[in-house]
Amino acid sequence: MKVHVKHWSAVAQWRWNTGNTNHDQDDEGDVCGICRVPFEGCCPSCKMPGDDCPLIWGECSHVFHMHCLLKWLGTAASKSQCPMDRRAWVTAERKANEPAAS
Amino acid sequence: MASAAVRAQVAAKWQESFNRLNRNEPGISGLLAFSEAWTLAIEFLKPRDLNDSAPQKQYDLNKVRAAFGVVGECRRLPVMMEVFLEDMRKSQHLITQEVEAYMTLYESNSDPEAIRSLVYRLVDWYNAWKPTADLGPTMISAYTLAFQTHVFSVLPPSFARGIKALVSATLQRTVSQSQDPQDRVLWQAFDTLSLIDRYETLIASIGYEYIESYVEETCAGKWSEPMLATLRAWMIDKIVPWMLYPFARGATNADEAKTMMQGVGSRFDFHMHKTLCNLRTKEIFDIIVDFPESMGALQDLKECLARVDQRADLVQALRHANNKRLLHPGADTKDILSHYVSTIKCLRIVDPPGVLLFKVADPTRRYLRDRPDTIRCIVASLVGDGESGDSLVDENDPIQPLQQPEMENYSDPEWNPEPIDAGPDFRASKSSDVISTIVSIYDTKDLFVKELQVLLAQRLLAVKDGNFDRERRNVEILKIRFGEAALQVCEVMLRDMTDSRRIDQHVQSQTASSMHPTIISRHFWPALESSNMVMPGQFQILQEKYAQEFSVFKPDKVLRWLPHLGRVHLELELEDRTLEADVPPLEAAFIELFSEKDVWTVDELVLRSGSVNRNAAVKALATWVDMHVLKEDSEGVFRLLSVTEGPTPGSRPQALKPAEAGELPPVMSVQQQQAEQMKIYWKFIEGMLTNLGSLPLDRIQSMLKFAPGYDRTVEQLGSFMEAARREGLVNAKDGMWRLGK
Repeated sequence: MKVHVKHWSAVAQWRWNTGNTNHDQDDEGDVCGICRVPFEGCCPSCKMPGDDCPLIWGECSHVFHMHCLLKWLGTAASKSQCPMDRRAWVTAERKANEPAAS
Repeated sequence: MASAAVRAQVAAKWQESFNRLNRNEPGISGLLAFSEAWTLAIEFLKPRDLNDSAPQKQYDLNKVRAAFGVVGECRRLPVMMEVFLEDMRKSQHLITQEVEAYMTLYESNSDPEAIRSLVYRLVDWYNAWKPTADLGPTMISAYTLAFQTHVFSVLPPSFARGIKALVSATLQRTVSQSQDPQDRVLWQAFDTLSLIDRYETLIASIGYEYIESYVEETCAGKWSEPMLATLRAWMIDKIVPWMLYPFARGATNADEAKTMMQGVGSRFDFHMHKTLCNLRTKEIFDIIVDFPESMGALQDLKECLARVDQRADLVQALRHANNKRLLHPGADTKDILSHYVSTIKCLRIVDPPGVLLFKVADPTRRYLRDRPDTIRCIVASLVGDGESGDSLVDENDPIQPLQQPEMENYSDPEWNPEPIDAGPDFRASKSSDVISTIVSIYDTKDLFVKELQVLLAQRLLAVKDGNFDRERRNVEILKIRFGEAALQVCEVMLRDMTDSRRIDQHVQSQTASSMHPTIISRHFWPALESSNMVMPGQFQILQEKYAQEFSVFKPDKVLRWLPHLGRVHLELELEDRTLEADVPPLEAAFIELFSEKDVWTVDELVLRSGSVNRNAAVKALATWVDMHVLKEDSEGVFRLLSVTEGPTPGSRPQALKPAEAGELPPVMSVQQQQAEQMKIYWKFIEGMLTNLGSLPLDRIQSMLKFAPGYDRTVEQLGSFMEAARREGLVNAKDGMWRLGK
């Protein structure tokens, strides 16, 4: 017998590829260190998740909602440091199929 | 010894009397004349026996009149009256005998004609004994009074019954317009005996009863047209002519009659309204069921209620009917809701300020609040289930935002006090927006939004042709009602749908795939039931390819499949036949496995597909068995039918139904989600009770309040703990909870 798939309307969830590979166990996913909203959610100033509220990766391996981090960097108190480890914030360059900085 | 003075006084008196009677006639001729006149007058007035067949003595009326003149001149009329009345009293037994005779007859045959004859006979007696008009009204009224007093005293109670029969016969005749000239005579006889005054209430009650039966007869169950106008015309046509007899007797022209009838007429009118009001109150439940066909009845009711103060009765009746016929477990929530909506609309017509509605609706609202599926029903009708047709919302109604309870505006110049029978907690709602009223059954609208989300998710995932314009339209409508912010999540869900299509188009343009996934943003969709299912064979390959392509398109994102959701359209190529099938993924996974080898046991299949629920697996296999693709050779062992087999005589009847195509995707309902959340808090409770031994309920509650996102009430916690106790997880003693062993 042969089975031909004509049409498959499947369902999937998207996740940010944060490089956190063991997210199968940790089903709740990671939250943004600034707003405490899951990455797949959106930052407090956004309404739509996903491409409208992207993430930003730092060289220091920390990930935030881009809007959250930019707001933080915009304050004088930030001194352009990563809010998690106080190292100077350098946005990591990411390439499409390269595993996330870890 | 009388003194001279006394003697003189007596003499003077005597002289005076003598002079009065003698009237200064010579000698005592005046006295003689008076005596003669007196005898004649008394003789003339003396009541005679009508049954006495002896010929009646003829009097010369002029002589009699002269005699009365003499008596009058001598100022002896009052005495004459006394004597006359005394004579009458002596003859009363004659009347008594007749009355008894007639009444015995009536009681034996109950024929009102006996009463009629009696009445006529009494009139005869009355006329026979009546003094002539020359004697003046005093005399006649004294006579009438004496006569009536006697007659009334001898009439037995059954006479009233007879009168009633007679009178209603006249009413029947008047109504059917077969005028009987006798009626007029009869009424005149009644009047003569002043029976009308005596039996006025009785006569009126005949009219009332007649109106009642007529209203019952003509209006019961007829709700489509307003009946009041017809009834009023009927009153004027039929009842008023009859009323003229008893209540406008002696009226000489129409105006006079009108004035005389004013009081009693409005009583009759009131009674008509009251009867109709009672009838409609009794029928109110069915009237509401029939709405909007029962518009006429509602208008009648409104008018009646304005005249007759029976609002409380209406409320009572409707509440009772609701309790008896609606608010019980046998009634469908949908029916209760639609009845409630009809009630709202109906009572808005009857009573625009909404006091009645407020009073009636309270039990219904409370009942609905306790029903678990109310919200679901409301939401389903909000988004207009096209299939079920009778949506609660009128499509033509303008969509308006939900009304929030307003604060009273103290400087409003248009302010009016609340209606007089409004309860203390009555809130006047100015709008008649049905949806606002329904939503206000619950304290918050969050519940609706949550339920809406679940419903939307189910619908979106069930959409096969990628056309969700209807859902989009619904969300837009609901946004107007609930506000933009509340429906933000639904907005995201809809955008996920459009995004998925766009992504799919892109992916297909790179590498064509038969897979067309819906990619959803978690956190914005209601919790979907999780599953460990793994798709085998070519399905997995398809998934991987697609995911890879997706990651190329969206480098920052990865896909996580929810393999148990969605549907697969398959073509099976068997040795002797090909067949197409549209099945859920689990079914597809199984048939894929059967292409590896022909015979599988259920347990093997479950193992290969990632330990799915065994029941689900058996159900999925049954789908194929029904399609004659698989066959259950023995318990739990299935074989692929590469070549069709006719149903063997020994084969098991196919009891299992195929999975229904319209089955909704397994989105967790709000209750399930809550139960799911409670599992998390159970960990906290368990920890607490382990560390602290036993705790009272409110202590547990206050500690749980520290937990993030905990929003249960003590009651909810209580019922949860109770459930835990039933499962043996905890014990309760004296209100203290401790972990069970």
